[in-house]
Amino acid sequence: MTSIDVREADGGVVLAPTGRLTVVTAPNLRSAVADRIAAGDRIIVVDLSATDFVDSSGLGALVSCLKSARQAGGDLRIVAPTEQVSMVLKMTNLDRILQPRASVADALRD
Amino acid sequence: MSDPVQRVVIVPATIESIDVVQEEFAEWWAAVGESSSETRFKFETAVVEIATNIVEHTHRAEGSAGRGYSLELTADATQVSAVFSDNGKPADIDLSTVTMADVDDESGRGLALAIAALDSLDYRREGGRNVWTLVCAR
Repeated sequence: MTSIDVREADGGVVLAPTGRLTVVTAPNLRSAVADRIAAGDRIIVVDLSATDFVDSSGLGALVSCLKSARQAGGDLRIVAPTEQVSMVLKMTNLDRILQPRASVADALRD
Repeated sequence: MSDPVQRVVIVPATIESIDVVQEEFAEWWAAVGESSSETRFKFETAVVEIATNIVEHTHRAEGSAGRGYSLELTADATQVSAVFSDNGKPADIDLSTVTMADVDDESGRGLALAIAALDSLDYRREGGRNVWTLVCAR
């Protein structure tokens, strides 16, 4: 049900999970981000515009990936969360460390 | 007043069961005809967190062989509710002590998120089963 589209971009890499990011699929995001960091990418953009639903496991994966990116000297930025995703980010206070950018272009720039 | 809209789901206690729960939830929600997306998102979030908690607790405690859980979703004029029942070992849990994890933590948000999303969450041990009751007002 969930797939993660990965594409290279000028200034980083863009990962776009489609569908649900839950305990079922969160390990896929962790390994995809780990692969990109190992391959040398430093700016990891997670485009959430097609992610319908995120649970606490998905949030945990985002926090873990953010830490990994920063430890490698980079950053992880999220883009355009949908309604449910914005809600859980706010309820868990994670919107403080994962401040959503409006577009992939914005996220790649800053 | 219209009749309550009910759906019963019975699944094995596996990680993959979460997808089944969400698909059944979506069909039930469509039948309920509730227009508030906020109510849906809060309730679905809590349902997924409790289902995940049951599956993970079962795996940690005893492995998943022969273990399963049921979920009964009900909507009436004033509320939506979910009752989970599983045949796993007792969940050693005190919901009054649950707090939200710090932003740097990679886990420990599930129950806190469910509590925050619901109007009430109750856990009890009944007839050798763990019973969780989740309620959101409409």
